[in-house]
Amino acid sequence: MNKLSTRQTILIYLALGVVLIVFLMPIYLIASSSLKPSPIMFQKPPAFLFAPTFEHYQDLFAMRPFGKFILNSLIVALGSTAFSLTIGSLAAYAISRIRHKRMNDVAFWILSMRMFPPIAVVVPYYIIFKTAGLLDTPLALIIVYSTANIPLTVWLMKGFFDEVPIALEEAAAVDGYGLLETFLRVTLPLAAPGLAVSAVFCFIFSWNEFLFALMLTGSEAQTATVAVMSFWSSDAVQWGRIMAGSFIILIPGVIFVLTCQRWLVRGLTMGSVK
Amino acid sequence: MSAITLHNVVKKYGAVQVVHGVDLDIAEGEFVVLLGPSGCGKTTTLRMVAGLEDVSGGTLSIGGQVVNDVAPKDRGVAMVFQNYALYPHMSVRQNMEFALRPMKLGKAEMDRRIAQTAGILGLDALLERRPAQLSGGQRQRVAMGRAMVRTPKVFLFDEPLSNLDAKLRTQVRWEIGKLHQRLGTTVLYVTHDQVEAMTLADKIVIMRDGHVEQVGTPEEVYAAPKSTFVATFIGSPSMNMIETRATGGRLVADGLSIPVPTRFGDRVKDGQEVTLGIRPIEIQRVAENAPGAMAARVEVTEYLGNEALLDLRVGSHDLMAEVPADQRAAPGETVHVRLNETALHLFDTRSGRSLAQ
Repeated sequence: MNKLSTRQTILIYLALGVVLIVFLMPIYLIASSSLKPSPIMFQKPPAFLFAPTFEHYQDLFAMRPFGKFILNSLIVALGSTAFSLTIGSLAAYAISRIRHKRMNDVAFWILSMRMFPPIAVVVPYYIIFKTAGLLDTPLALIIVYSTANIPLTVWLMKGFFDEVPIALEEAAAVDGYGLLETFLRVTLPLAAPGLAVSAVFCFIFSWNEFLFALMLTGSEAQTATVAVMSFWSSDAVQWGRIMAGSFIILIPGVIFVLTCQRWLVRGLTMGSVK
Repeated sequence: MSAITLHNVVKKYGAVQVVHGVDLDIAEGEFVVLLGPSGCGKTTTLRMVAGLEDVSGGTLSIGGQVVNDVAPKDRGVAMVFQNYALYPHMSVRQNMEFALRPMKLGKAEMDRRIAQTAGILGLDALLERRPAQLSGGQRQRVAMGRAMVRTPKVFLFDEPLSNLDAKLRTQVRWEIGKLHQRLGTTVLYVTHDQVEAMTLADKIVIMRDGHVEQVGTPEEVYAAPKSTFVATFIGSPSMNMIETRATGGRLVADGLSIPVPTRFGDRVKDGQEVTLGIRPIEIQRVAENAPGAMAARVEVTEYLGNEALLDLRVGSHDLMAEVPADQRAAPGETVHVRLNETALHLFDTRSGRSLAQ
């Protein structure tokens, strides 16, 4: 690549600056509002300099068992992610490797699960889980989120498995490994970036989801997203607490993505086959 | 005891049959090369031996045991793949360890074997590298090392040199030959390169369209090809083929008439269409009045140092002659040549089969 001139460099940094402002502004607003004392919350022009207060955070944990709701969210998000990755990558492997003329139809059928509007199935889900006695349990949400996460994982992982040369699996077969061992020791490690991408998508979807969490949980299995909204009532909107809750909700997602990031590398199969 | 036996082995993909009843007997310690053009079924046959393809019919035995339905991992074979198939997420040492682990040998024995193999192949300095950090020739040696550490009953090679450049190919070919002499393991080796086959093989199996055309030592397939296909496939430059008709004890074609050599006896019938084969080296320049001399026009001369290739036109036929370099002639010149009668190959034109006994 040609070396950039000083002017080009400045222009690129300017453009990046604009993009950064667009993406970081909401986060800044959430963070600053969560620390602002209530009286100056809606002051115009906005106060950029103020003495930060942690009162909203204290209220958040004092008025509601917010820690428990965070834990619920974590259980649901991690549970659905783990379940979806397990089932999804096994299914994707089968679709990638089994040569059959109807395999594309199977793959499309799995994808089509994601096409119907969630609102259409809320009531049926409610009735099913009520009958099964699963209403207001993390398991209900794990099941529901997995129905959306598994198709996504299957499609992502299929692409990554397609890239792993079959010769490597044949080499493992000749070297003395069975199907499952070959999958676990050769194929899956080479599709690790796919697992990381799928994990990020599954986690973020499950972590952020609101509609099903609202309809299918009560006080026991309530997730953080729903809990934050309970500070929004017909009488008053407690912005400070909502912002404090929102900021806390942002953190696990960031940690999770950063953890997965080290697997997001290209070219893992380089050097395996010519 | 035979190391590998194929009896009427057939491979079908749906309605398409790609291997037609192959019979083959490979003795313990033998180096057998499956040779043929691409699409002839040689790789499919090898993969059936490895267990990577199902056998559609016939029986396949390794070490006296029928293995048609035995998984690859239980066949005691090791394979070197055309594209090496090294595990990219493992170092060279881990690649070899991975091949050893199913044998449950214990750490000390695994280390001993890896060190020994690395020593033989000159991989000592590369053991901690990943495949991506190796050159093509080094990857090739790692692939062989991974197969060797297991000390298998049978080595399978699938065109192992086709991804190397010409110089490296000669070197690795030489190393493979040396390894076989040293280890004495049975080898089944697939290639489309006749030089590899001729230099390495104890026995060459020439395949075409899923059939075995001929099985024999390199000397046999070169000196006594059983069909026009084998005759033209083996040898470089390839054998000249002239279509003639047997007439009154002579083989006649445009600009050419030679007596049927007596060793073919009565197998050449009057009126039969006969393809005459002669290797370029068996066409000699002679004086105009020498017995059997034919006039030929030189079309092209290729000087190769020690020898020269003359592209000759005899009647309406093109012939390639390989002569000592000092006997070469300029294009456009007319020279006199004689076909070495003892080196003539005759084939039935219809069937393509040899008329020799």
